[in-house]
Amino acid sequence: MDDCIIRTENLVKKFGDNIIAVDDVSFDIDKGEVVGYLGPNGAGKTTTIKILTNLIEPTSGTACINGIDVNKYPKEALKDVGSLIGVPGVYGYLTPQEVLTYFGKVYRMSQREIDQRIEEVLEMVNLSDWRHSKIESFSTGMERRLAIGKSIFHEPSILILDEPVLGLDPEGIREMRELIKSFQKKEVTVFLSSHLLDEVSKVCDSVIFLYDGKVVERDSVEMIDQMMKQFRLIEVEFLNDLSEDDLRRLDELSIIEDIEKINRRKFRITKEEGDPASTAHMLRSVIEEGYDIISYSPKKSDLEDFYVSLMGERGGA
Amino acid sequence: MMKTVKEDIKEDLKNTCLTVSFELKKHFRMKRMIISFGLAIGLPLIFYIVPRIWASFPDTAEGFATLNLSFVNLLIIISGSLFAGDAVVGEFEEKTGLLLFSTPQRHSTIFIGKYIGALLPTLAVVSIYYLTTSLEIVGIYGTGGLSIELFQSFIISLVYTTSAVSLIFFFSSILKRKITSTLLGFFSLIMILPIIESVLQFLVEVEPWYILTYSAGLITDVFVSVPPIGGGPGGQVGQFSPDFYMGLTIMVLHTLVLFFLSVFIANRRRME
Repeated sequence: MDDCIIRTENLVKKFGDNIIAVDDVSFDIDKGEVVGYLGPNGAGKTTTIKILTNLIEPTSGTACINGIDVNKYPKEALKDVGSLIGVPGVYGYLTPQEVLTYFGKVYRMSQREIDQRIEEVLEMVNLSDWRHSKIESFSTGMERRLAIGKSIFHEPSILILDEPVLGLDPEGIREMRELIKSFQKKEVTVFLSSHLLDEVSKVCDSVIFLYDGKVVERDSVEMIDQMMKQFRLIEVEFLNDLSEDDLRRLDELSIIEDIEKINRRKFRITKEEGDPASTAHMLRSVIEEGYDIISYSPKKSDLEDFYVSLMGERGGA
Repeated sequence: MMKTVKEDIKEDLKNTCLTVSFELKKHFRMKRMIISFGLAIGLPLIFYIVPRIWASFPDTAEGFATLNLSFVNLLIIISGSLFAGDAVVGEFEEKTGLLLFSTPQRHSTIFIGKYIGALLPTLAVVSIYYLTTSLEIVGIYGTGGLSIELFQSFIISLVYTTSAVSLIFFFSSILKRKITSTLLGFFSLIMILPIIESVLQFLVEVEPWYILTYSAGLITDVFVSVPPIGGGPGGQVGQFSPDFYMGLTIMVLHTLVLFFLSVFIANRRRME
């Protein structure tokens, strides 16, 4: 039996005569896979996801879920799909209870199931205390959490998420990550788009790289890990010369993975994590060890550079 | 497993009903119901209270009904604009459609539900207006004041309501902003179409029988006992009056054409 849950075949979406948002995109996602759809802004991620959720129609090609053409038979294809696309508006004049009840009914849940799931989902997205409050009084982050709650409300076996951590605070991002990991354990198929390498590497099994509307690569998460290394690199210049003993002391700091000498005062340090907070933490730790830092510069490289180099290697750019 | 056609239709009907109830809740929460129902009761009350205190009532029930019902047109336009103005366009402008249109429902069932959700409260508002007026007539002139013409006027008002809602719903399905759609709907019916109607009648001296607001004149014209001059297409040049059956036909045609066109256009519209 075909295990493929999500499949696109030669998907093309043109806007007008000149703009090709999605250009001959084909991929398969199997049951229980968590696949990242990675690309810089404007690469065509949201357009692909909108086609997969019947918000727009492709110019040519097909998008299937569970073997059913989404754009021809949306009712059947989207029955078991939870989706979060872009930054949706949430009906401000309603309460979370009312919004979730409506969508529960759309998914043909019984009133008992709806009541039970409202409790569970609002607890999951930390909105239990706001259950009966009008959404118009919510912050952007709260609205986002409610939209996430809506996407998982009917316990779908397929989740399609477009930039799921957008608009969330660090705590919300961590919770979202945990949520996706919990779906992984339940064998839920997750397809999530992001422009954040770090995010994708933490939750996905494999990654589809999209650039300029085209799929340029599909690879395992290990490859991203390699890429992430360049984001974890930072060049640090110290006030005084560092001895071999000093280097060993610094190397023993838990946040530093590797330290490489450029000259007696300048060193290239690889951090454990790639985010800015870890840079601050690392610098603080070094200073607390009694070393004076006179300058530091994180390695300048981004996803766009990676794609340009990748396309160059393939002879495409 | 594939569903039978019957099951499929049943499911679509369920989805439409869900949208209707969702829309009604929206109108209620946004205080549109209170405003419209308040006007439906308040306006006829003014025509009852003011003559009672400062003047006298018209001699006949028809006269009272004509005076009172000359404002039902305004009420239909206000209510229709409130309930239908943002029905479709709101989902696109507010981006709530990203949540709604990605659910397993035919988009057309959502739009039909939205149309009914706008039409039902407007019809209810008109009914309340007529009910209040009828009670006032009974209070002033006795039950004998309730005439067949009042009933005819009520039926015409209901048909005009469906065509007015269809026109505003049509604007909502083609325009990009809620405010533009609501205002264009409102001003089309209150000003633009009546101006075209007047230009045709008095400057070009052609009967504007195909214009929606011209047919709406029947709401009060039914109380006039003298037959209108030149009613219907091909009538005499001069002061025109809409023909009863022609007027009804024009309103029904507007309703059907605008409704199907709106659903067709809204269905093709995408969250881009």
